[in-house]
Amino acid sequence: MKRSVFLLLIAPGILLLTIFLFYPLVVTLAPTFSNNGPSLARYLAFFSDSYYLAVFFRTVWIAVVATLVCMILGVPTAYFISRRRRSKSFLMALSIFPLLTNPVVRAFAWINILGRNGVLNSLLLSWGWITTPLTLLYTDFSILIGTIYLFLPLMIVTLVGSMDTIEEEVTEAAESLGASRLVTFFKVVLPLSLPGIVVGSVLVFTGAITAYSTPNLLGGNKNMLLATLIYQRAMSLADWTSAGVIAFVMIVMTVVTVMVMQKVSRRLDRR
Amino acid sequence: MSYAVLENIRVSYDGKTPVLTDLNLSIERGELVSLLGASGCGKTTTLRVVGGFIEPRAGRFTLNGVDMTRTAVHKRNFGLVFQSYALFPHLTVFENVAFGLKLRKIESASLKSRVMAMLDITDLGALANRYPRQLSGGQRQRVALARALVVEPQLLLLDEPLSNLDAKLRLSMRVEIKRLQKKLGITTIFVTHDQEECFSISDRVAIMDKGVIQQFDTPEAIYSHPANEFVARFVGFTNFFNLTASGTGRCLNNLGEEMVIDEIRNHTGGQTSWTGAIRPDDIVLTGTEVSGTNRLTGSVEVRTFLGKSYQYELETKLGRVVVNAPKDSIFEPGTLVCAHLPSDKIVLC
Repeated sequence: MKRSVFLLLIAPGILLLTIFLFYPLVVTLAPTFSNNGPSLARYLAFFSDSYYLAVFFRTVWIAVVATLVCMILGVPTAYFISRRRRSKSFLMALSIFPLLTNPVVRAFAWINILGRNGVLNSLLLSWGWITTPLTLLYTDFSILIGTIYLFLPLMIVTLVGSMDTIEEEVTEAAESLGASRLVTFFKVVLPLSLPGIVVGSVLVFTGAITAYSTPNLLGGNKNMLLATLIYQRAMSLADWTSAGVIAFVMIVMTVVTVMVMQKVSRRLDRR
Repeated sequence: MSYAVLENIRVSYDGKTPVLTDLNLSIERGELVSLLGASGCGKTTTLRVVGGFIEPRAGRFTLNGVDMTRTAVHKRNFGLVFQSYALFPHLTVFENVAFGLKLRKIESASLKSRVMAMLDITDLGALANRYPRQLSGGQRQRVALARALVVEPQLLLLDEPLSNLDAKLRLSMRVEIKRLQKKLGITTIFVTHDQEECFSISDRVAIMDKGVIQQFDTPEAIYSHPANEFVARFVGFTNFFNLTASGTGRCLNNLGEEMVIDEIRNHTGGQTSWTGAIRPDDIVLTGTEVSGTNRLTGSVEVRTFLGKSYQYELETKLGRVVVNAPKDSIFEPGTLVCAHLPSDKIVLC
């Protein structure tokens, strides 16, 4: 292709990105690196503030646990779906279905289930398993549940795509060589789905770090995550510079995660 | 009693359409038996029943007298080779071959020597540390074979193992398979749709159509005495004509002319009608009309060049006849020719 044509074709994209991504990013982040001249003081302050650090580590912890749980729940489910013939598209539709609902609506559903007078507490009380209602809502636990529910479909969809590429004959060959279904799963299917697991994990992890409405509605004010903290700094306290600092910390975290995971994936995928 | 026996195997995926109907097959120890047929004839289904991937609705599969109809795949100890090779892409050649032995908890020194010995036999020793993606089709096929053979299977199942190879490689691989199979004495079932490949490699061949074995015999017997018209077509007979009996050892064609057929002596069972068949190569063409038995006059409709010979389609009173004739005499389309059907080349089915 001619160079001029090429430039013409990517121009709209570049223009859009410049106006709506690069420019706002620079405008938002530039003040965070200055304190009467260029300085990292604001970042040093962020990482020496015990409250900020608590929020930072809570965010990482929730994202890591959510990723692990999505992995543990997603891998067997995805394998089950990928080995169906007739019911496959139905099961896929079923697992994608939650994605079609607004995350806010889904968070409200969890409020109804996990609340003090919610479905779960009522059930446990009526069965006599507990005598006073459990505090489930507005805890790390409720954020975790909401986040897992939010991102499990992404993990499943990614994994089904990856597991579909494993030929049925390969697992049959393993079985014929003396591997039971379970051994075949661990020795053949799992190693071959590692790239998919890595991609799914990146999606879940970065999603969990950046999600806003779910931790906002299910976490409340006591259990801030970075995303909710940004909102609070910027909108409630009008402290846009602190919000910018947090935003940049999140960007760096996500980029580093993606890069590390890609490296891991390349190392693991020896095909 | 034979080594591997399929008795009255019935398979149907939806319960209505039969895929295999009362299939019976007995295979002797050390034998290489082929299942031959067009796609959809049930040959792969039969192999999958033996392998344990399909449970038949009825019937029994016994190996060495032991009923294995419902034995789990991983407890059968059968070697399998697929058309797509189905190597483990995340393992090296060595690891692929060692896979089955590791599961059998063979201690590492003897595992290593057994794998290396098998790699040497299959001429893969230098490639032990390569990954499947770094191998050519023929090398992958040998790895698949080595992986299946190293566990010393009770039965070797080959599902169109040569179909993905180019013609030259296919030829050398089939000799290779035959050599290994005889050397190791492993009873083998070979599924293929390629008649030439099948006949060259097999001790016995089962020709299948519509889930039924049409004929099960040695390649030589099938080639010269096809059991029915389907088998005859499969092994290269293209000209068929109806015959009716007229007295002992004599028969007439549709035109009421007598045909002399040597094989009729073997058909003394009171049968009154047959289908006669003859290969295009066995018919002799002459330009001038010659009278006598087994001669047909016809006009040349189409002539095609086959390399070693010409193929003619003749329009005769008995219908369309296909003849392969040598290049020394060429007949133009439209000319009248005389076709001689030698009495010893006509088979009855």
